[in-house]
Amino acid sequence: MKLAAVAAVIAFLYALPAVASGQPYVLHIIALSCLYAIPAIGLNVMLGYTGLVSLGHMAFAGIGAYTAAVLMVDAKLSFWLALPIATITAGAAGFAVGSICLRFRTHYFMIVTLAFGLLLHQVMNNWDEVTRGAAGFPGIPRPAPLAIGDWSHSFGPLAGFYRLALTGLLAAFALQWAIVRSDFGKVLVAIRQDEKLAGFKGANTMLYKTTVFALGSAIAGFGGVLFVSFLRAASPDAFSLAESINMVLIVIIGGAGYLAGPLIGALVYIAVPEYLRAANELRLVLFGVLLVLITLFAPQGLAGLLQSGWKRVRR
Amino acid sequence: MPEGFLEQVINGLMMGSVYMLVALGMVLIYGVMHVLNFAHGVLFTVGAYVCHLLLTRVTGSYALAVVLSMGVLAVLGIALEHAVFRPLRGNLRSQVIASLGLILAIENTVVWIWGPNALQMRIPATQSIVALGELHFNLHLLVVIGVTFAVVAMLFLFLKTTKLGTAIRATSQSAEAALVVGIPVESVHRFTFALSTALAALGGALLGPLFLVFPTMGDEPLVKGLAAIILGGMGSVPGAVIGALVIGVAEALSTLYFPTDYRDSVAFMVIVLVLIARPQGLFGVRMRGED
Amino acid sequence: MIEVRGAAKRYGGVVALADCSMAIERPGIYGLIGPNGAGKTTLFDVITGATLPDAGRVRIEGRDVTGIAPHRLAALGVARSFQECRVFPQFTCLENLGFSLQMHRVGKTLRREQALRMLRLVNLESYADEPAASLSFGQRRLLEIVGTFIVQPRFLLLDEPASGVNPMLLETLTGFLRAMYQQRPGVFLIVEHNMQFIMELAQELIVMHQGAVLDRGAPEAIQASPRVIEAYLG
Repeated sequence: MKLAAVAAVIAFLYALPAVASGQPYVLHIIALSCLYAIPAIGLNVMLGYTGLVSLGHMAFAGIGAYTAAVLMVDAKLSFWLALPIATITAGAAGFAVGSICLRFRTHYFMIVTLAFGLLLHQVMNNWDEVTRGAAGFPGIPRPAPLAIGDWSHSFGPLAGFYRLALTGLLAAFALQWAIVRSDFGKVLVAIRQDEKLAGFKGANTMLYKTTVFALGSAIAGFGGVLFVSFLRAASPDAFSLAESINMVLIVIIGGAGYLAGPLIGALVYIAVPEYLRAANELRLVLFGVLLVLITLFAPQGLAGLLQSGWKRVRR
Repeated sequence: MPEGFLEQVINGLMMGSVYMLVALGMVLIYGVMHVLNFAHGVLFTVGAYVCHLLLTRVTGSYALAVVLSMGVLAVLGIALEHAVFRPLRGNLRSQVIASLGLILAIENTVVWIWGPNALQMRIPATQSIVALGELHFNLHLLVVIGVTFAVVAMLFLFLKTTKLGTAIRATSQSAEAALVVGIPVESVHRFTFALSTALAALGGALLGPLFLVFPTMGDEPLVKGLAAIILGGMGSVPGAVIGALVIGVAEALSTLYFPTDYRDSVAFMVIVLVLIARPQGLFGVRMRGED
Repeated sequence: MIEVRGAAKRYGGVVALADCSMAIERPGIYGLIGPNGAGKTTLFDVITGATLPDAGRVRIEGRDVTGIAPHRLAALGVARSFQECRVFPQFTCLENLGFSLQMHRVGKTLRREQALRMLRLVNLESYADEPAASLSFGQRRLLEIVGTFIVQPRFLLLDEPASGVNPMLLETLTGFLRAMYQQRPGVFLIVEHNMQFIMELAQELIVMHQGAVLDRGAPEAIQASPRVIEAYLG
């Protein structure tokens, strides 16, 4: 029953451009929400399920983004080749940084991830020869059109990329689902509850944490590539400390440790303020307050609230 | 000695003094409550804005504006401790996440009220240039160093000699022992928070006239303050002082050898290197049972 | 089978272990007793790799395991419970036991069955799908201990299993421990303060005092030992 409903929603979303052709704004919002949800999924696996509070997550989205930019613009590689390479690069960077940071307990871990994020941001800002510096990296192409027989799909127009963003989100979601449902995922949740105990039970916790950090970073990198292809440009500010904090906000408000959490969080973060036509600052003030309130009164986040609300309705 | 060495040392001491105020605030809270208040940076910023407001609307006296802004922030600190940190006590992750929410809310409230552009805080009294040998410095710079050192000295005296100060030290060593001895731990928490935010406000109010007052002005001091307490050792008050000065001076001196763009990286690298090589910092106090 | 030689450990100014040596050569139920501060939990921590001793070596079946990472010990057949009772609070009872089994490479299909069987042995079956946090302390203690047995350890270290458990559940616990030993004898090393409980259960008592082993022997002999009596009273 639930599966059918979800399939229907997905089908509807794919068909949306045909239905809402006169409202590109809607497509733009949904596409952007998908692009924010992807790194959020990566952070959710790390923070929501394993309990690792990383304050430098968006730096890895940046690594994916800039790697792809250089590959596509300087090395003239196709998007479809640049995407996996950049994703793996972000994952490898995550593994390397994780092996250093994850040796530390909570407080120190957060500070080190913060420091790494800031360092990487500095590199993006100042390594002009490669990243084009603070002004940003322009001219990043959309993927080349796909053609199979008579059918061809172009990613230049909004509707075309919109469908790619949806597909990317579904892929990331499927990966999250697979991780969470697996034995590997069980260990992650055990680590979140009591890392020492998990170790005594036989789990090599350092290995698990490093692996999930690499996975989360890879997912972030994947999202980063899509993001800069969508905007046709990369800018260091999209991967700054402020953005990493916003990502934590999306995961927590959406519901940490819930599969749908990152999606709800990203949607709320992007879509709601657009409809309220609120000034940017006011939106962030409200989100900041919302984050504090959720931490105090509803740590399960919106996804958790929806779940318990749904349970009540069904009784 | 390369040219400008001494000048940069003095500059470094000045920035280090500002970092010191943030670092002290954070290390006091950490010692007593075992939580890192990441929102300290925005409280620094608010301190500067409140000082500016008081200076332009309420009183012409800079000194009075500074003191009053410290008071206002102390009250804000107590409110935050009560509303946010106390209910979340014991849950480290939640406290940090809540402090991130505070950063967002407070920083953007500042932008919303005062706008994104920088404000000028002119203090005619400290505008003059002072000559130290061959070097010339803005008087305000020396005022910052002087005031900070004086305040820190008073803080040390307070912690060592007064009853409340001793209570703070006792609580940071062991909350259970403090309770057993009859120390009102809740009040200590409240007071420590108020003291820390007042110090942050002082930092902002002192820095404002030198580099303008703008919404993200507290971000850098936050990170440098973090680097300072890591270098000095997480639970150590003297460590915070020394760490902050070292970072300030190291940063300033780095501009003699490296492009200034990379100056901020000094603090980040300190964090990473210290945690890899000597996690307890210079004077680290290892606290048991911490996770 | 378990050998500790010359272990020393201080925490700040407090000496927890001082030239502590102990060897257990054959399977049995051993009680580790001693006045407060004698170093019993520290000895456990040293044996299980939770703490690195300042000096001394730990050997399990001839292998030097001093300071080994705890997860590697689990692979050697060592299981441990904790003074403060540690279970995964958000996991259900089944998930808690299932996790231990998972770590010992038991397949998913077998886990539920084995876990349920264990829960039945201690009358916790009805809580199978309840989160561990919703159990009473005594029930959580039972869950914790069952969780150590379910992996069929050769070395079982229990740290004050009886503390905080009411007399009725205590009987269930004693019965369970005896039954498990009969089924699969191994080295059971149990730290305890509850004298009645440990006297009834243990085949041999090891007494610690001021960071070292003071005496050992059958429960009746230890009860009468003048050195032990002095240690407790002095």
